[in-house]
Amino acid sequence: MDIIKILENTLSALFGIDAAYFALAAIGLNIQFGYTGLLNFGQAAFMACGAYGFGMTSQYFGVGMWWGILIGLVFVVILGLLVGIPTLRLRADYLAIVTIAAAEIVRLVVRSVEFKKYFGGSDGINSFSKSFRDLSPFDPAGKYGIRPFQYSGYSFWTIIVGWSLVALFSFMVYMLMKSPWGRVVKAIREDEDAVRSLGKNVYSYKMQSLIIGGVIGMFSGMIFALDRGSVQPDNYSRDVTFYVLTALVLGGVAKVRGSVVGPMMFWAIYVFSDNFLRELTKDKPFEIFGFGLIQKSQVGPVNYMLIGLGLMLLMTFRPQGVFGSKEEMALDGR
Amino acid sequence: MNNVVTARKQWVGLLKTLVVVAASVFAFSGAAQAEESEFSIVVSVQNQTIDDGVATKNPVVGVSISVTTATGSAVGEGITDASGIVTIFVPSKDSYLVNIDLATLPDGITLIDENKTQAIIERDSFTTNAKRVTFFAGSSTATGAPLFDRVVQRLVDGIRLGLIIAICSVGLSLIFGTTGLTNFAHGEMVTFGGLIAFWLNVLLGVPLLIAAPLVIALGGVFGLAMNAIIFAKLRKRGIGLISQLVVSVGLSIMLRNMYLYQFGGRTRPLDDFSLQVAKSFGPVSITMRDLTTAIISLIALVAVALYLQKSRTGKAIRAVSDNPNLASSTGIDTQKIIRIVWFAGGALAAMGGLFRGLDEQVGFEMGSGLIFLMFAGITLGGLGSAYGALVGGFLVGILVELASLVVPAELKNAPALFILIIVLVVRPQGILGRKQRVG
Repeated sequence: MDIIKILENTLSALFGIDAAYFALAAIGLNIQFGYTGLLNFGQAAFMACGAYGFGMTSQYFGVGMWWGILIGLVFVVILGLLVGIPTLRLRADYLAIVTIAAAEIVRLVVRSVEFKKYFGGSDGINSFSKSFRDLSPFDPAGKYGIRPFQYSGYSFWTIIVGWSLVALFSFMVYMLMKSPWGRVVKAIREDEDAVRSLGKNVYSYKMQSLIIGGVIGMFSGMIFALDRGSVQPDNYSRDVTFYVLTALVLGGVAKVRGSVVGPMMFWAIYVFSDNFLRELTKDKPFEIFGFGLIQKSQVGPVNYMLIGLGLMLLMTFRPQGVFGSKEEMALDGR
Repeated sequence: MNNVVTARKQWVGLLKTLVVVAASVFAFSGAAQAEESEFSIVVSVQNQTIDDGVATKNPVVGVSISVTTATGSAVGEGITDASGIVTIFVPSKDSYLVNIDLATLPDGITLIDENKTQAIIERDSFTTNAKRVTFFAGSSTATGAPLFDRVVQRLVDGIRLGLIIAICSVGLSLIFGTTGLTNFAHGEMVTFGGLIAFWLNVLLGVPLLIAAPLVIALGGVFGLAMNAIIFAKLRKRGIGLISQLVVSVGLSIMLRNMYLYQFGGRTRPLDDFSLQVAKSFGPVSITMRDLTTAIISLIALVAVALYLQKSRTGKAIRAVSDNPNLASSTGIDTQKIIRIVWFAGGALAAMGGLFRGLDEQVGFEMGSGLIFLMFAGITLGGLGSAYGALVGGFLVGILVELASLVVPAELKNAPALFILIIVLVVRPQGILGRKQRVG
């Protein structure tokens, strides 16, 4: 077993592009879930809005890539209104049900044969990221950074842009939550009725929070799409939202540093477990007392099983994660 | 998912992951399972004709079929008998190519898909020792059927789907009513029923009629276990409902991947009642199997409704749903009621999974694909209302199937989202729900 390689991959995942796009999605989700108490289970759909905003520039509209941000914003607002209008006046779990449904429908629509002309069907869309590539100051063939934090030229470029966005939005959210607006949404999380009795329009604040979080989620989808150079419908399945949620809870809900460090830890743990299990089952199935416990092909499901288990244990025994405070995680929702 | 383990090994593995549930039963049968040495490919050639939108299948006799290995060397051949079926024995579970000789088809009969004269069998698609392959001849598209007949056929399909959704979601709604938990892992309880049915029927060879009660009972035990191991503990610790909801999401992810780990990513049919010929009743064609499951579902639903309405426990369940504190103060043992609800919910979900597995096929995502229809159903019926789930689930099934007359098949679940949204805008308490203060 190559321990050094596993550890290198693990460290490298701390600052990799996956952690960056998860951090963006988690910052968005943190505004909704952490600060406002909205159960948005459709963050993947908001991410898809961003990715398909880019994708559609080449697939359908035939305009420059940067128009994609505008298209993505339009999608995010439409989606936010669609799921927000019926649910934000109701109890918290209605939003969860509707967002999870909406996310599933968004995925089905973009991968359907019916709308292939617009969204590229299940093959997705590939040719849109040239403008972004051309901006890269790094040599695509070169290696940048020092081991183990070493990436190829283009990856390095997306990583830098991704983490810059993370820094930007972290700062924004930090300032936002110190502002009067932030105090109102946190108060909504604690006691909606009290806020309403102060004459605030709770519904409107919740909607703003949902859409602002969605917009940050959109940038997450964009960074992911740019890194892969393609948009694939199945990258935005509903479980993605839950993995982001797990990462967020791990870091600490309602804390800016929780939403950044959580995804980094999440990916480091994931990569470690994945690499470790793959090494373990490389030559023969992992066995205990003669039982074939894990086959090579079962490593994927085992990892995701661990994520699910991790989410359950975190919520039960340490809902505040690493950085959060317990008082801010006392969500009840009724 | 290229899963090359034999079915037996997989299910001995299940034994390890699901020890919680009836460990003894699992251990016993896991060991008792024997490997057989005879493998075969069962090829069926059916001529499908459509009159007035009704599909009838007739066997095609005397078609020669040959089986070769993936590299092309001949393994065996045969000619279809009076039931249109030929069994060709193969030496081992491996990848094969099944070819149909078009020249031997009777005059006037062509394959529906002319290019599909060859079926490819993957090594791991041998779920049992006999692998079934069907070639369809005749014209396939039902475009000729009059609109009325298509609507009626869809309506019948919708009723069937609606009954299954209703059965599956009773537990979801009752659990919500009595404990306040929105259980996102309920879909996995449905899948559990389907997989246990597959395990008993296909891997152990238990006839489905004997296996069915076992499946339902194990489903109930599974529900009880979920409550006892996880949610009862969370309630005791005073963990908020939203946190419990997130825990159920984690549980759903964990269970679904456990199923994937055991079962693999493919969908597979149950052994019994999987080959059925549709019978026509006027414009409607339905297999006897589907008719039977629909009738059993209906009986079960009526029984649940009567139980809730008339029996002492049923009344207690409704009382707890209504107001747990008040119910508790009148001397009702709330925890006991909650356990009953979890058992009944799990059992009904498993039954729904079994029927769904007969109707479609068994797969690790069969329940999580339904959960969103179940949510739409119980929201439509009224979240937490005892009868709401029955009515709502039923209506959602019908609406989804009817919608597929206009919406492409791959998007046929999309209208459920619109039902959900419209209900929440117009009447958030649902059809049977009690009006609550809505801020």
